[in-house]
Order: sequence, then structure tokens, then C-alpha cells
Amino acid sequence: MARAAVVGAGMTKFGVHEQPLQELFGEAAFAALDDAGVESRDLDALYFGNAMSGQAENETHLGPRMASHIGAAGLEVQRFEDACATSANAFKNAVQAVDAGVHDVVLVGGVERCTPETGKDTPEMTRIFASASHRQYEQPTGLTFPGVFALLTKRHMHEYGTTEEQLAEVAVKNHAHGRLNPRAHFGKETTVAEVLEGPVVADPFRLMDCCPFSDGASAVVVTSDDLADSYDAPVDVTGVGHATDVVPIGDKTSLTATQAARDAAAQAYEQADIEADDADFAEVHDCFTGAEILASEAIGFAPDGEGGTYAAEGRTSLGGDRPINPSGGLKAKGHPIGATGTAQIVELTEQLRGTVGERQVTDADVGVAHNLGGDAATTVVSVLEGRA
Amino acid sequence: MSDALDYATWAEALREGRLLGLACGCGHTNGSPTGACPHCGSRDFERVELPTEGVVHSETTIQVPPSTFEERGYQVVVVEVGEAKVMGRVDGDGVAIGDEVRLSGVVAEDDGNPAPRFEAI
Repeated sequence: MARAAVVGAGMTKFGVHEQPLQELFGEAAFAALDDAGVESRDLDALYFGNAMSGQAENETHLGPRMASHIGAAGLEVQRFEDACATSANAFKNAVQAVDAGVHDVVLVGGVERCTPETGKDTPEMTRIFASASHRQYEQPTGLTFPGVFALLTKRHMHEYGTTEEQLAEVAVKNHAHGRLNPRAHFGKETTVAEVLEGPVVADPFRLMDCCPFSDGASAVVVTSDDLADSYDAPVDVTGVGHATDVVPIGDKTSLTATQAARDAAAQAYEQADIEADDADFAEVHDCFTGAEILASEAIGFAPDGEGGTYAAEGRTSLGGDRPINPSGGLKAKGHPIGATGTAQIVELTEQLRGTVGERQVTDADVGVAHNLGGDAATTVVSVLEGRA
Repeated sequence: MSDALDYATWAEALREGRLLGLACGCGHTNGSPTGACPHCGSRDFERVELPTEGVVHSETTIQVPPSTFEERGYQVVVVEVGEAKVMGRVDGDGVAIGDEVRLSGVVAEDDGNPAPRFEAI
């Protein structure tokens, strides 16, 4: 039996948006509601994610404003903040609520603006993002988020021999996938040579190893398992795992394990009664190319130390045996922080329905989403399956 | 009884050229103050003086800093100091994983909050 079902999915194009947050969220929310055939008044609750608009746009207490904008004032609204894992945490709580019988039909989603449309330039937004690292034991070094994942990736390169060319292959793959996704921030392919010629952000990462600052929103409608068949195109949620790891980085047991992802994946796979090999594809949190390599190993898509080789050999490409990020991932699709987690659920839902066109994973029956927050401190892993 | 270590004590020691950590009975030594051991939950710590010389565990050089940091191109390191690891900066021409470094002072560019500063040996 499924824990819950996704019966509607919607998202904005990720990129640069002028609209205020509620209008951006409304576009995704109405698309999800229309896809499900649900009216705002039919909802029992909104599980809403936004990570840093308080800092970026001086906007807090967004929950009721979002509910009002989508015609659901009065609704019970939970707001989540878990850095880049914000809306995956919202999704987990929504699944738990319908699984426990607390609610029947809920909307889950997130919104964020991170581009200069916020009025914040790159150094200012870099500082805001860095607020998700430890205030006392990481930030005073001048650490940034590219720096966080550079430290983890450099150690992986040292322990396993992962190369800068292999990192670049991840960017090349995800740009190739993103070109097939009309909602992706970037629609252009790149090459290993082009990636390796880019300016260094935090070595080993060059500009094209890094996901962009994006604006966007995403939303899904979640119902209980026993109500799902009354909707047109339900997709089952069979597992959701959620774990944290030690903060700060220095006190983690391992820099390369991303232990929270391993723990969350183990929980999700156990609930779904699957092994990693049973999954047909994954959307993982490739905020940086090195992050995808660590994630591919943590969720069991590649053996430890071989994530870079898998990417370079095309095994994680569309058409490979372990496809990762058919949407283009954060790297090409974009990364509006609080919208990223549910955007992964949107991609899983549409892949499992078989409706994504050119970037369709062949025979996609089981999909995995991996959404990571902070200095690898939070990870939510979800398993979705086509409804039999 | 817990041998506690708070941020103010850790920071004051760091400014004096000492690195304080917390050794736990579970076998982990934590390089940063914490209320209970993040690995086992015990509050029964022993406050320990960590070595001020160590080995670089990982490193990166930040070329796009946060707005509050004026100069780009600084190297951030995670250093193994005895049984613990701490994050800091390294001055000079740069170090690689496995290189030996020693504590040389503090960086205090972020509202005066200190971070360990290391130099190559």
C-alpha cells in the first residue's frame, strides 16, 4: 500500500521572474490544482516551503498570503525552512499527514526568488546562502556554499581519484538533459572543454560546475492512498526518508559519505520495499557537479568512489543504465531554493506518467528524489512509483 | 558531570592561540563546542586541549566571497588536529590535502567572530 499519492503537479519555468512571490507561487499552485481537478476550496491544508525570502526580499509569514492568493484563505498552512531541502520537508510532512488520516487532500509547494530581481547582487546573495552554514564555526572563515561542496568534493577526489573532467561530465550531461526541458533555466548544451575553461568559483568548481541563482515555484497535490483512484493520473508515494547529519562539517565523521542522504535513502527504500537497483531513475540535488557524484553514491546508484566514472561513461545519462537528473537537475533546470524539492516531485510524477516527451526515461516505473539542505546537514529521499 | 565548553570560552582560547575541543566516551572528539555529543547524545564530555599542529583534511580557495568579505582568493581548510577536525583559513601560497599546518592566529573579518588561522609548516 502506498503512503500517499500525487494526483496533480505543476511548476513555473525556472529562470528570471519579475512577479511577486505570491503570483509566482500561484502559477505553480493553479497548474497543480488544475492537473488534479481540485478546487482551492477542496483543500484541507497547505504545506508551504520558502527558505530565505525574509533575508532576500524582506518577506516573512508567507503562508497565509499564499493561501489568500490561491483562494484558500482560512486554510491551515504550515511553512517550512530547511535551506535547499525546504519543500522536500514540506512534502514529507504532507505525506505523513494524509498517511495518518489527518488530511485527505493537501497542496504542497514552494517558491523562491534568488536572481538579481530580488535587488540582491551575487556577493549579497552568496552571503544570504552562507547563512545556512554554521554561524560560529564555519561562516567566520568566509565559507560559501560552493566552498562547502568544494571541501566535500576535494576530499572525494583525494580518496577516490575523481577528476575535474568527471565533474565537467556531470555539467555536460545535465545541460544536455535540460535542453529537452522547456521549464529549465538553461536551454543550451555545453562541453567538457567549455566547463574547464570557466572562471573558478571555489576550486575544483568553475562557473559551469555551479547551479544558477533562479526564481520559480512548484507545487503538487497529495491525497491519501484510498482516495487516489478517484483522480485521473495518480502516482504512488511509497517511501519518504528524512535524516540530518552532524553540523559543522569538521565534526562530521566523513566528508564524502553525505551520511544524511544514506540514512534517508535507507528509510525510503525500506518503506517502499525496494533496493536502489529497483529504481529506474533519480532526480538528485546537483547544486554543484561534485554534489551529484556524492549523491549518486549515497542513494546507491553508483558504488562508493565510482560516481565520477559513472557520469563520464554515460551511465547516468538518459539512455544509460542509471539515469540521473533527466530534468536537467539543479545545474540546468535551475535552483529556486524553496521550490526545488517539490520540483523534483513534479519531474518524478510526470516521468512516471510518461508525459515528458523527449527526456522520457524508458520504462520508468520507480523514481527517486534526493533533496539536500545546508552543509549536507539535511536530506529527504522520496520514492514514487507508477500506480498499478 | 559534564565538562562543558561554550562558544565564548572556545573563542577566547582561540584568540590566545589555543584550540579547545570535547572528547566523548564514545570515541569521538569534537572540534567545536556543543551541548551534547552529536554522535552519541552523551553530555559527559571531557574538555581537551587540541594540538595546534595538524594535517590538511580538505581545502578550497574561495574566489566569489560573501559581501561581508572584502578580499577574494582566500583558502578555507578543514584540518585534522589530533582526533578532531576544525575549519579555518590558511595564509600563504596554499596547501594541499595531507600537508602539515600549525595554528598561527585568528581571522576576524566577520563582525570580529574568530576563525582559526593556520600556516604551512
